[in-house]
Amino acid sequence: MAEFRVVNKGVPRKDSIEKVTGQAKYTFDVVLPEMLYAKILRSPHAHARIVNIDTSKAEKLPGVKAVITGKDTQGMRFGFVDTPRYPCEQPVIAEDKVRFIGESVAAVAAVDEDTANDALDLIEIEYEPIPAVFDPEEAMKEDAPQIHGEQIPAPGRKCAWQDWGVARAARSYNPVNNIGATVNIGYGDSEKGFADADYIREDTWVIPRTSHAAMEPHGAVASYNPLTGCLDVWLSHMGYELKRYWISKTLGIPTSKIRVHKTFVGGAFGGKAQVFDHEIIAPFLSRKTGKPVKLILPRDEVFTSTNNSIALKINVKKGVKKDGTIVGQHVKLISDMGAYRGSVPVCLFLCHSMRDAIYNIPNLTHEGVGAYTNKSTTMAKRGHGSQQMTTAIESQMDWIAEDLGLDPAEFRLKNLRQKGDVLPNRDTLNSYGLPDCIKKVVEASNWKEKRGRLDPGRGIGLAVSAMFNGSGYWPFTAGSIVRMNHDGTVTLYTGQAEFGQGPTTTICQLVAEELGLNMEDVNLVDGDSELCPLDYSNWLSGGMFVSCKAGLIAAQDLKQQILKIAAEMLEEDVEDLEMLDRRVYIKADPEEGVAFDEILRYSIQRHGGDLLIGKGFCKPVPEIEFYPSLSKGSGRWTDAYSFTASVAEVSVDAETGRTKVEHIWVSDDCGREINTAICQGQLQSQAVMGMGDALFEDVMFSEGRTINANFVDYEIPRAFDVPEITTIDASDPDPNGPFGAKEVGECARAAVIGSIVNAVYDATKVKVMSLPLHPEKIFRGLAQEAKA
Amino acid sequence: MELAKKLIKVTVNGEPRELWIRQNITLLDLLRDYLGLTGTKMACISNSCGACTVIVDDMAVKSCSVLAMQVDGKEVLTVEGLAKDSKLHPLQQAFIEHVAFQCGFCTPGKLMSAKALLDENPQPTEEELRRDMEGNLCRCTGYQKYIEAIMDVAQHPDKYGAKEG
Repeated sequence: MAEFRVVNKGVPRKDSIEKVTGQAKYTFDVVLPEMLYAKILRSPHAHARIVNIDTSKAEKLPGVKAVITGKDTQGMRFGFVDTPRYPCEQPVIAEDKVRFIGESVAAVAAVDEDTANDALDLIEIEYEPIPAVFDPEEAMKEDAPQIHGEQIPAPGRKCAWQDWGVARAARSYNPVNNIGATVNIGYGDSEKGFADADYIREDTWVIPRTSHAAMEPHGAVASYNPLTGCLDVWLSHMGYELKRYWISKTLGIPTSKIRVHKTFVGGAFGGKAQVFDHEIIAPFLSRKTGKPVKLILPRDEVFTSTNNSIALKINVKKGVKKDGTIVGQHVKLISDMGAYRGSVPVCLFLCHSMRDAIYNIPNLTHEGVGAYTNKSTTMAKRGHGSQQMTTAIESQMDWIAEDLGLDPAEFRLKNLRQKGDVLPNRDTLNSYGLPDCIKKVVEASNWKEKRGRLDPGRGIGLAVSAMFNGSGYWPFTAGSIVRMNHDGTVTLYTGQAEFGQGPTTTICQLVAEELGLNMEDVNLVDGDSELCPLDYSNWLSGGMFVSCKAGLIAAQDLKQQILKIAAEMLEEDVEDLEMLDRRVYIKADPEEGVAFDEILRYSIQRHGGDLLIGKGFCKPVPEIEFYPSLSKGSGRWTDAYSFTASVAEVSVDAETGRTKVEHIWVSDDCGREINTAICQGQLQSQAVMGMGDALFEDVMFSEGRTINANFVDYEIPRAFDVPEITTIDASDPDPNGPFGAKEVGECARAAVIGSIVNAVYDATKVKVMSLPLHPEKIFRGLAQEAKA
Repeated sequence: MELAKKLIKVTVNGEPRELWIRQNITLLDLLRDYLGLTGTKMACISNSCGACTVIVDDMAVKSCSVLAMQVDGKEVLTVEGLAKDSKLHPLQQAFIEHVAFQCGFCTPGKLMSAKALLDENPQPTEEELRRDMEGNLCRCTGYQKYIEAIMDVAQHPDKYGAKEG
């Protein structure tokens, strides 16, 4: 196809009118008749036994309809990971003890929010505090307080993977020394690599927890009908299948009786993928009271009780030949997991796999451990694993280049993998735009002229990153339906979650392109579990490569059906026909043709009432039955990788240590851009989010208490902080992507962080070794340098 | 303690209203809970994100931090009142054409802030605009396309239809 009509253009979003007029209904906009309001009582202790809970006064308060505690939800467990190796361990409401400040200990449903809040004050809880541990390395010591003293999982409990068809039963165990996750991946022989090396370098970075800080706070509205046994829910989420599964598993309501309604979702960034306590508590309270229940978390609870991004201590040892060839790498990770596993077992694995497509390292060892601590859980955030590792690896790449007298860009180019390479896990690089990303960003930023020649206090840095295009996890597939309507338009059904990143617009572009339609001819039904086909949805950036592709396949299916009928009507061969503007015509004689609505009528009249409905399915990594091993990294991971190279130019004020980012260049290989405006928006978004990560974002704790749980003390970038941003398309269309497209929403953030870290080093020669690069750290580093 | 309800008179999106309200509710509560105008959002309830921005007598205010009693006798404009006679406001049109928003949650607040700014200062510099919009947090977009869209309206007032007074 030489030229595109709808694809590869910056067409307006499908949800435009709703979003500019205030008509878009988010979860907390949902109001139902006789709706109750729920609030959760949170633990003020980091680690304590619950001796007694007295809810009697709260229950007597007029307007209170239900008060529940861990006794009501006894035995219910949930978690992001629930595999035979890592059975989940988080209670819906704390039972015999609390493990972090902010854990739920009771919940109330009342006629209004004020009454619910008053009722929380009347719940009397007797706690017996026990020693807590907040540092993962302290937690792994022999005499540390044991955060999980009991058997995981509870006897007889089936893990999620068993429900989904994995034959193995959950491994039952009692965590020793608070270790809750391990990873051990390797190939070649890293020790031999170091023996062969001319130069060895070892660095240790500390990456903090950050908040996803999606603008819409988490929340749920639930309405249980006791007569039908049906539960209707509205959630702020990133995909309904997993949420529905967990509500079903914990509350024992069949999934087919749970309907997750479409809501608009006010941002997610990974922080709304897992199921949360409040999403189980709201339906529980609705079932108990027989009334709809609304439970919206205030911002401070989003910080303290949902999840933060994953904190890691990262040690990287690298062996390099004099000419700059990397011959060995050994990575050791320690994660401050929080009181429950969250997505740490996945992150430890992704820290390796997200970066394995970048450099060709013949000898590699990757070890990681996650330790339980008395803090909230941690979870994926935009570029899960890549973000943390990229800072550590890419800063070290610059320091190696400096020590060996190499240009950092050339040093990277020398060690890249190549297009067509098969990775050690057997993933194939069918597309590989990374060399082009680097070359283009170096050129656009004037790297060669600026590097080493900027004014004092100014610096320039480069970093690269990679990202999966979906991976194998439940429900392992995405489906889509495209139906022809009586007026010759089509209706597309997709289960994708639209949380701002734009898949519901881009999938319509794919369908419109395939069927020769305009965007307004594609009607959209999305995000409703009852109306839409099953969809694994948009995590690990599979939205384009998997879910949108299912839409394209459905359109191709419909196209064949339309052409077959049209061929019969026109008495021509299918190959001689083309379609455009709701009409099929003869290529050699474009005046001769039949309209879509006529084709549908003909099909109904002459083919036994046949309607024209296309269907499409797409499974990530079709070769694997279930999922890759998280602890060993074995098995295929993904079908394609996206790549980014970023350059940042910064100035650092020597008086204050404050960094100002002057310019960010982001060069991205997202395959063919389907919506150019959305792609550019995703890259700008990641440039700014990455700047926040590099310079100021850090969820701070004091004895387990979050001390900056609001947008005043936890800064995210504001309009005035934003530097000039240049986005560069360095796409290598992937043969398996829809029209060659790959993901664009997650890859760049990690590269941007790395490039700012490297630019600040270039400006100051201060090795900070922990994010964010607070002015204080730079200032101290500069002072030390001056002394030396 | 239950406070006595009071009567306020307020014009919301051009419609005069008389409402008996609890004295401790905010303007945000009034709009969302009493009038069902859920276009105005809430992301922090601490006057720090700008998602709840509305216009009161030509001034952009954060409705989570204004008591409903304070708008007695005043005119309030929310995102629902921006489009007139089935025609979008130029800012709304520009936001669409620039693909300025993503999740859309902060968009109503941004529209109201931008409208108040342009009404007062129709030709802001980009720096003035970025300063003015500093109170409107956005996590999705990196602000770039919003700024471009608003600057486009300021620089080409006729491009998105005549600007209503």
